[in-house]
Amino acid sequence: MKIEILRDNLKEALNCLERIAKKNLSLPILNNILLSCEGNFLRLDATNLELSVSWWVLSKVIDKEGKTTVPAAFFSNLINLLREKNIKIESSDNKNLILKTINRKIQIQGMPPEEFPIIPKIKRENINEISSEKLQKGITEVVEIPSLSQIKPEISGLYFFSKKNKLKIVATDSFRLAEKTINLDSNFKKEVSFILPQETSRQLISILSQNLSEKINIVLSQNQILFEIPQKEFSKPKVQVFSRLIDGEFPKYQEIIPKSFKTKLLLDKEEFQENLKEAGLFSGRVSEVKLESFSKENKLGLFSQSSEFGKNESYIPAKIEGEDIKTSFNYKFLLAGLDNIESSQVVLELSNEEGPGVLKPVGSDDYFYILMPIKAS
Amino acid sequence: MAYKFQPQFMTNEELWQAVLAQIQFHLSKANFSTWFRNTKIVSKKNNEITVSVPNAFSKEWLEKKYNNLILKVLRTIDKKIRRINYIVKTKEPELKVKTKTKLSKEEEKIKTSQLKLENFKINQKTNLNPKYTFDNFIVGGFNELARAAAWAISENPGMVYNPLFIYGGVGLGKTHLLEATGNRILKRNQKANIQYIPSDRFISSIVQSIQNHTIEDFKGKLRKLDVLIVDDIQFFSGKEKTQEVFFHIFNELYEKNKQIILSSDKPPKAIPALEERLRSRFEGGMIADIGLPDIETRIAILKSKCGENNINLPQEVLEYIATNIQKNIRELEGALNRIITFERINNITPDLKTTKKLLRNLIASPSRITSWKKILQTVSDFYNLKSNTLLEKSRRKEIVKARQIAMYLAREELKESYPSIGRKFAQKDHTTVMYACKKISQQLDVDDNLVTELNLIKQRIYNILI
Repeated sequence: MKIEILRDNLKEALNCLERIAKKNLSLPILNNILLSCEGNFLRLDATNLELSVSWWVLSKVIDKEGKTTVPAAFFSNLINLLREKNIKIESSDNKNLILKTINRKIQIQGMPPEEFPIIPKIKRENINEISSEKLQKGITEVVEIPSLSQIKPEISGLYFFSKKNKLKIVATDSFRLAEKTINLDSNFKKEVSFILPQETSRQLISILSQNLSEKINIVLSQNQILFEIPQKEFSKPKVQVFSRLIDGEFPKYQEIIPKSFKTKLLLDKEEFQENLKEAGLFSGRVSEVKLESFSKENKLGLFSQSSEFGKNESYIPAKIEGEDIKTSFNYKFLLAGLDNIESSQVVLELSNEEGPGVLKPVGSDDYFYILMPIKAS
Repeated sequence: MAYKFQPQFMTNEELWQAVLAQIQFHLSKANFSTWFRNTKIVSKKNNEITVSVPNAFSKEWLEKKYNNLILKVLRTIDKKIRRINYIVKTKEPELKVKTKTKLSKEEEKIKTSQLKLENFKINQKTNLNPKYTFDNFIVGGFNELARAAAWAISENPGMVYNPLFIYGGVGLGKTHLLEATGNRILKRNQKANIQYIPSDRFISSIVQSIQNHTIEDFKGKLRKLDVLIVDDIQFFSGKEKTQEVFFHIFNELYEKNKQIILSSDKPPKAIPALEERLRSRFEGGMIADIGLPDIETRIAILKSKCGENNINLPQEVLEYIATNIQKNIRELEGALNRIITFERINNITPDLKTTKKLLRNLIASPSRITSWKKILQTVSDFYNLKSNTLLEKSRRKEIVKARQIAMYLAREELKESYPSIGRKFAQKDHTTVMYACKKISQQLDVDDNLVTELNLIKQRIYNILI
């Protein structure tokens, strides 16, 4: 293998790949990145056996025979330090990697590429297209919710399903649940429904946030999925993210969405957030913050106390519909929901002391966040 | 003589073990443990072996790198094997024996106080809630028959009593028994196709599928069931279309010896606006009722609930709750929950006095209070008499009956003494009152109309006060 490549293009790929290639005691090669040539591209692969990311970087290929693997973090650190724009990379013995620029010559010790896992191929049928930006935003709003539970693998990931021109992404940890709706520009060719591992979702966000392409392709097979960032000019994709899917059936969550409410509060988001954070300081280990509405005075009270820190009460203006209500929530859960709401005002709907509360943005219905209260004490 | 493998007698598991035992010598330990972890032979047919692997990476690797090696080793054991297929089978979630890390009391409290979203415990396919089992179903004289019938069915679904119809008042454990039966059938046969449907969901599904023109799909899904459980079937009353759809499904399942289990708050006869053909079918299997639990059972229930919540309450507190809440197990649990919450918050075990205070508004619920005047008023209204006529010394037939009922109610509901009731009814002798009460209670055993009348009167007495 002998190529010439632009430093920044390589850097972009390595920054992402080093997050996948992590130390693995039983299979040390997973700590490495596989480099090989495909047409006029340098191909880089990293995997942790749950997911793999492949990246194609356009380069001047002088000799395409041969491949090698090098430690990911080490290689990435090195490239980040280089000043020169053009880099020559070669590997003649399929092990060591020689890196040359005008002013330097470096040899990196690699590992034999035969040991590197083979990246599985997926049948390319049912390819669906979706806007990268929308997908990234959608995943971001629910990705932190799942809990990594061994007992219930089906809720340890993000549940995606499409219906006509909507794609919904849902996540829950059994205490709270968020649903994000993405409006598709064009309907999927075939309706999809799958549970994507949280880790893959996280990696996908960071790749999508680099704005590599406007659209992304999704290829689904029985228990695997491929996300593909195409390149306009070439038939080779830019990036492929391949992942396993979680087996199982996501809970029928529609049934827990409250159909009605007893109290509806309209609040200023920022004010609510700040007061919650303040109240949270006093909430102790249970993280319990009590909310009480005062419809006559048009305000919402926040109360918290703990034997360690003391007491706190504060009030924020609120537009209140319905009966007055008292309830308690884990303030962290409330904040997590508020963080993903963009509108400056939020709606909080409550039904009873021990029933779920619902947070929604004002002016759009593409997101909601249901959370269960803490049993009042 | 050298030991010889006899492949035809080997199970797939033994065969794979033998393969792995040899392969480990050819590979590094790391490679071996990475690529062969969670693999197994799932089938052996026509000299082809199918090996399941946990993920697509292992599949690629075994196929491309180790296929020859595996095949070679396999053929040393069984020469006939020609081919190996690999399939990806994601690991079934291991039912781990929970490593019980003891939580501190405080953490325990945090854990229990954060409420969970409902429905998440429920089995998605069958709609059964695994928390209901026979193990935590407390048996007493009042529910023995129903439980025995349900148990027999779970042993042998479709073959013993079909349908099983369980009825009883609210909060006495019908749902628990129904779901426990379903759960046990499922436990004994993982493949059993079971569906638990509360009747309101059944009705709304029918309405929906009529709107979407998918009624045939809906029926088709139910036809495939091995066990159909419908809870609170009395809500079918007056829903003609639902009854019709249910009738057809019922017949089909019944003919195929598929188990049907139903529950209701009253016996089939007493469900109003229920088609005759359905009623007779409901009565065709086994009808079991759940009565009111006796005091011993109530205490046993409380004790088991305390156990579930890791809490110890003094015997006198349990006895107090059990004596004062008699007719509804759900209310019994509600009362106990209140005590438990109190204990959790204040960290002191409540004594009898606190218990009384805590449960005051549960136990002395206003709807249960009535008065002498109310009884008199309601009874005379019910029989279209002036309230004073009951107090007159008249022997007219209709007055005598009404008077006897009023006496009976005064005795039963107000717990008044016979002489004091006698004094109120125009100075009648206490033996007259005793005779009246005896007569009514005897008639209640034989005369269904009287039961209905008395229930209506009681309802009116208590409703007026609410």
